[in-house]
Amino acid sequence: MAGKSGRTIANVPEKSLKKTVLCWEGMLVILFIVINLFCGGISPSYQFANVLREMPKYLTEMFLLFPMAFILILGEIDISVGASVCLAATFTCMASNQGLPFGAVILVCLLTGVACGFINGLILTRFQELPPMIVTLGTQIVFRGIAEIALGSGGSVSLSNADGFRKIAGKAGIVPYILFVVILMAVLYSVVLAKTTFGRSVYAIGSNRMAAYYSGIPVQKIRLIIYTVTGFMAGLAALFLTSVLYGANTTTGNGFEMDAIAMAVFGGISTSGGKGRLFGGILSGFTIICLRIGLGQINMNPQLILIILGILLISAVLIPNISAKLKLKKKAA
Amino acid sequence: MKKKLISVLLCVSLAATMLAGCGSEKAASSNADAGNDAGQEAPAESGSTEGGGAEGGKTYAIVTKAAGNPFNEKTADGFKEVIEASGGTAIIKHPEAPTADAQVSVIQSLISQGVDSICIAANDENALQAALEEAMAAGIKVCCEDSKTNPDSRQVFVNQAGVNEIGVALMEAVHDITGGEGQWAVLSATSQAANQNAWIEAMKKTMESDEKYSKLELVEVAYGDDEPQKSTDQTQALLAKYPNLKLICAPTTVGINAAAKVLQDEKSSVKLTGLGLPSEMAEYIGDDDAHSCPYMYLWNPIDLGRLGAYTSIALVDGTITGAEGDKFTAGDMGDYEVIAADDGGTEMILGAPFKFDASNIDEWKDVY
Repeated sequence: MAGKSGRTIANVPEKSLKKTVLCWEGMLVILFIVINLFCGGISPSYQFANVLREMPKYLTEMFLLFPMAFILILGEIDISVGASVCLAATFTCMASNQGLPFGAVILVCLLTGVACGFINGLILTRFQELPPMIVTLGTQIVFRGIAEIALGSGGSVSLSNADGFRKIAGKAGIVPYILFVVILMAVLYSVVLAKTTFGRSVYAIGSNRMAAYYSGIPVQKIRLIIYTVTGFMAGLAALFLTSVLYGANTTTGNGFEMDAIAMAVFGGISTSGGKGRLFGGILSGFTIICLRIGLGQINMNPQLILIILGILLISAVLIPNISAKLKLKKKAA
Repeated sequence: MKKKLISVLLCVSLAATMLAGCGSEKAASSNADAGNDAGQEAPAESGSTEGGGAEGGKTYAIVTKAAGNPFNEKTADGFKEVIEASGGTAIIKHPEAPTADAQVSVIQSLISQGVDSICIAANDENALQAALEEAMAAGIKVCCEDSKTNPDSRQVFVNQAGVNEIGVALMEAVHDITGGEGQWAVLSATSQAANQNAWIEAMKKTMESDEKYSKLELVEVAYGDDEPQKSTDQTQALLAKYPNLKLICAPTTVGINAAAKVLQDEKSSVKLTGLGLPSEMAEYIGDDDAHSCPYMYLWNPIDLGRLGAYTSIALVDGTITGAEGDKFTAGDMGDYEVIAADDGGTEMILGAPFKFDASNIDEWKDVY
């Protein structure tokens, strides 16, 4: 297809086996398999059933990965999600201890999350010149502050009746319910990002916000929706986290935002926006979870595990960078 | 593009080398028997199947509050020593952060490994319930040390600080340092602090119970709110108000530290005792007049870990179940009995607090 300028633009990307395997996601699939074989090799207790059983706590962070991928693709960042989880978990426990029916407790949880996200979105879309990092840093402190006041001097609240949460934490056979929810969300978010106008708009905004705006994309509306949905997902994460912890305290959700960002970046989603696929993020999320479970089972020093994850993350950012430079050199030569 | 693949593989191999280097030693010892037959079946049974009965050793885990907590690390040392002497395998697990969340992951991992017991210093009383209940359902014995969980999530709590033991030890110190007569005062934390009030109450009870304390006069209980400045002010107020004061007893680490500084700086003849951290109190402890505190108490973390280990072994053996009235012998530490705890669960009490004086403070000041 020759354009006016004489250049050819392939609108259907060439698909070959080599390309599929060698793209970042292909690498992650291989890495995922390698890590699993590796963990199975080093730890005799790294069995399917055990991994599934250990997974729920880690999976709560996956909920934050999905909307975080959208935000990163927008070229923005939300570091208040951990605090939103803390606040939602706190209110959830309090609502539950007030004797509200379980349905209402879930509603409180999700609504708290939505409110947190909506506040972020509102500030960021009303005052568009503000950097998201600073705004969400502020709301992070505010949300956590509110949670700490609500928690009072003891700094923690426990469920007096955990029956409903026990059901959420249940399993179908050996598969915990949360895994189904995560998979459902993964499919939902992937489809929205890859196959809908909304998803395309997100990429457009991330690549060039001005261009997107002038081409008629409702930039601010989309941002508001994404931040609010992020809050909703924080609520969902809080709900499942509460079902693991039977309570909330001032450290609940600490570092979740960074873990979610790390999973996304490791999955090939660029923090400068416009690039990356959710599938990569999901793969990297599971890879990191499996690695943590495996290394945990051989009782490796937890700080060492963090160091390894840090190194992996840096390599994930470095490798595409270096290979791009090499390519440039090749072209120049 | 091939370079991408190569570099990813290099990363993996890098990680693998690190693992091999750092993890293999521990892995070899701790996993040798833990997971052999445990994993092939459903995880619910993994704990109860005699994981590694073939090798004869059982696996006992201790979970600390955080890596780098010196008190916890000493406890873990004591735990390990006893377990290894008994022929078992000890796993020392630190959570990646000092939070209950991180401890949940650790417990889950231990369930997967099919350990026989878990002894934990909880970061939160209630947050570990789901994980520990799952562990107990899998046949793993659970006890706590240092910092307890709620009664539903444990079988027994190894309590380092029996209220009466502390009351008696502190009264004995007051009697000894004052020479058995004269005025003395207490410098406490806040007036609502439950443990402080219980200890002060125990001291008063001890004082009434024995004739030898009759010449001692407790003139005031002052509250420094566990703030260094307020504790300093309160100490100075005590000195001003009671010129004949012979001793201050501060059963709080903040209070004793503040008081020690005041007394030593003012070269006061008033002496000091109480509960304090060796690292903070080292420069004030000594028998001569230049030092304000002849000796003080706190619990011994190593003994705590050792009792935790003996308790774990007894729970796994079935010698005790953690029910009130259970008795067992903790090696050379003597006999212990499980008693009812205030929170509705059961506990056992380590014993009298550990004495820190001029002879051993140098050894302990670096410990915690």
